[in-house]
Amino acid sequence: MPREHPLKIGVSGIRGVVGEFLTPALARAFAQAFGTYVGSGRVIVGRDTRASGPMLQHAVQCGLLAAGCEVVDVGVLPTPTIQIYTAASHARGGLAITASHNPPEYNALKMFNSQGQFFNHYERGELLDLYHQSDFQQAVNGEIRGVTCDFDAPPKIHLERILRHIDLDKIRARKFRVALDGVNGAGSKLSVRFLAEVLGCDLHAISVDPAKPFPRIAEPRPDTLGDLSALVQRERCDIGFGQDPDGDRLAIAGDNGIVFDNDDVLALVVDSALARTPGDVVVNLSTSAVIDDVAARYGRSVYRTPVGEANVVETMQAVGAAIGGEGSNGGIIFPPVHLCRDSYTGIAFVLDSMAAADKTICELHARLPRYYRKMGQVAFEHGRLGPMMQALDSQFPEARKDRTDGLKIMLPDGWIHVRASNTEPLLRLGAEAKSDWRLEELYADVLKVLAS
Amino acid sequence: MRAAKALRISTVGLRGVVGTGITAAHVIDFAAAFGTFLESKKPVVIGRDPRASGVMIREGIASALLACGHDVIDLGIVSTPVLQHSIRRLDAAGGISIGASHNSAEWNALKFLGPDGVYLSTAEANELLDFYHLRKFGFVEWNAIGTLRTDDTALDAYLDELSQAFAFDRLRRFRVLVDCCNGTSSIILKRLNQRFGFDFVLINARTEGISFAHEPATQESTVELQLAPLVKPVNADAGFLFDIDSDRVAMATEQGCAVSEEMMLPILADHLLPKSSGKLVITNLSTTALLEEIAARHGGSVVRVPVGRQAAMDALATYRPEQIAVAGEGTGAVMMPRFRFVYDGIASMLGVLSMMDERGLKLSEIVGAYPPYSILKGQVPLVSQRIPALLTQLQKIHADGRANTVDGLRVDWAGRWFHVRVSQTEPIVRIICEQLGSPPLSLFQSLTELVRNFA
Repeated sequence: MPREHPLKIGVSGIRGVVGEFLTPALARAFAQAFGTYVGSGRVIVGRDTRASGPMLQHAVQCGLLAAGCEVVDVGVLPTPTIQIYTAASHARGGLAITASHNPPEYNALKMFNSQGQFFNHYERGELLDLYHQSDFQQAVNGEIRGVTCDFDAPPKIHLERILRHIDLDKIRARKFRVALDGVNGAGSKLSVRFLAEVLGCDLHAISVDPAKPFPRIAEPRPDTLGDLSALVQRERCDIGFGQDPDGDRLAIAGDNGIVFDNDDVLALVVDSALARTPGDVVVNLSTSAVIDDVAARYGRSVYRTPVGEANVVETMQAVGAAIGGEGSNGGIIFPPVHLCRDSYTGIAFVLDSMAAADKTICELHARLPRYYRKMGQVAFEHGRLGPMMQALDSQFPEARKDRTDGLKIMLPDGWIHVRASNTEPLLRLGAEAKSDWRLEELYADVLKVLAS
Repeated sequence: MRAAKALRISTVGLRGVVGTGITAAHVIDFAAAFGTFLESKKPVVIGRDPRASGVMIREGIASALLACGHDVIDLGIVSTPVLQHSIRRLDAAGGISIGASHNSAEWNALKFLGPDGVYLSTAEANELLDFYHLRKFGFVEWNAIGTLRTDDTALDAYLDELSQAFAFDRLRRFRVLVDCCNGTSSIILKRLNQRFGFDFVLINARTEGISFAHEPATQESTVELQLAPLVKPVNADAGFLFDIDSDRVAMATEQGCAVSEEMMLPILADHLLPKSSGKLVITNLSTTALLEEIAARHGGSVVRVPVGRQAAMDALATYRPEQIAVAGEGTGAVMMPRFRFVYDGIASMLGVLSMMDERGLKLSEIVGAYPPYSILKGQVPLVSQRIPALLTQLQKIHADGRANTVDGLRVDWAGRWFHVRVSQTEPIVRIICEQLGSPPLSLFQSLTELVRNFA
């Protein structure tokens, strides 16, 4: 029986099923803790298109105002847009009400510091302590500020930042036929504007109505983007883009309609970024070795971090990386735009590469070395996590190991990564190999060991 | 008032100093309790006075009501009476008024209103309190959450209703000075000037969130200090002073004399009794005895109930509306059956102007024609538990009068009475005594001394 966790309060913030579990009172308390932590000043608040968004936004704004913060409501916007605007407007912090790729009954708060980035490990702990202590700043009438709205500036600033790094005229001249699946998410409006108006594409878009519910599983993956794939083929598009509800994750379908593996999308963007910027690459431990191959072409190093955007960003800052991301979940982080996952940067870079090289997306994709990957998960009983990892460790005595996030076993012809999920009581596993049969062999091995 | 005491959760609602007393947590839980308490899933109407904390409170309330599956209609900054009228007009499940009426700016309060726009009965309010304390709220699933919309037509709809009840074309000729005390009355009166050509001269007319020009108290002393001296210089026919949410009003004559806040109800009773089929005046035990005299003149009678809004609402609920001429208290809060029992300062003011118009009298002439009652009000901090002993002792001393022990002790003699009771809102004992003619100084002093010895 999998253990269900309809509410999760931890260092990543608060996330849960709205209604009985994620209540207005909880959202208010977390926001007031956040407001107490960042201090009385401007805080940017935005959200994705979930039905529970406005309700939670009122609760969040209540908590922020009670802490003496001045609230700037930016409405429905992608998470990266909110992060960029938090930094650009010199706010004390920002808050996005979104459960990213989770199903519609979930919602969550993503919290950002004055640089528009996730709090670092130390800060997240402090904020959580503050929440648990419930000793919040309580503004009196004379200290309570108001709510102002700013719906126009954030998208403008976001797109301007991206345009500095691409050859706009060249892209516009190509008049790419582009398919888009916006999952009726926070980026629906902005994506249409960006692709059709700014980049001059001939756009064929589905699910770009923010008033409607998510029409598919919200996470953009090859197995959830059937409609996009069909659209690309029907409209004979050059490329198809699939986003998640808060516009930080990106998936890509080739001109043949086949949706690429998310690690390959990251590899394409890393290639594009390294061609224009000096610096190394940072990815998480579960990301494909294709990244190492691409980096090697440019003579750059690859740093690996535990899974989670905040971890990747922390290391990117420390090493001054050119680009980073998380392969499996379609996150692309390009620091000159902002230290956050941004699907729009990915869209722009891929189109820019196609225009610059005068190649189709499938041609660019074919230049990537071919790896075979498989992701999965197994439930574990309490107390069994350690023995499972140990069994795996002894199965591969000769291999190189990394123990910074679960256990990663690196073999000459592939790797295995097992780790406990941060969000669910599951053991996540990933494996990669250079051939299909070797992958199946490795994966079967792992499952056998974990089951024993 | 001590900070620790600056929060009161009762059948009257939630009231306190924001930050030290009322917090966002209280607001959300109370609104969630209300959203759970309301059986109908119709929308809930909310509005607020201009206090800065009102926005924070609105956000919390909106969130909790939406989470309970109610649509929310936000009227923005409005008077409580406008909100109450809107609840009926919009066929809503109820409403929440955010505002601390006559308290200073650092206070705020939530007042809960039923589907007819009137305050909850004590029984209903107790049920609401049970939901609050139980903290098991009826939050709906994600796809049944309500939506919020704003409505800026409430004020005009309210004014339309007033224009049906009062002869606007005749009242327009009066030049009226109004001290809005930076509250919601300024919005209403500016619109009356603009839309109907009234001649309201407004002072302290900008709505303020942080500090008001003076305490928003509808008391004779405030009128005397703030409003009365300006009435003659602007050549006004009358002067009125409102609290922040415009449910209470006080006045000054064209001569620049402050009128006792006790006079608002008797004057309106005098105005309404002859035209009304209902002959009852509902008021509390602390209000002037002039009411009995006026009621007798028009073949009416006075029903006296304990002090406080809840007692008044509960008593009103036991009568058919057509039995009642007017109801109110000596604080300047008056309601008329015509407006379905909403304390409404604007309607009260228009009532006084109508009386001036119909009788062709100046306000000073109307006020001057009544027998001169003098009222003294005082208070003593409450520190002991010896209140029953105090009341027994008082009754023993004043055994020659007619005693009423429904709310503290009231003793009546011909042309003279006193009332000693414990306040419901503050830890104090209130002492009120009144006499026809000169002030009852010696009675007041002996009462105060005795209360001090006990309290």
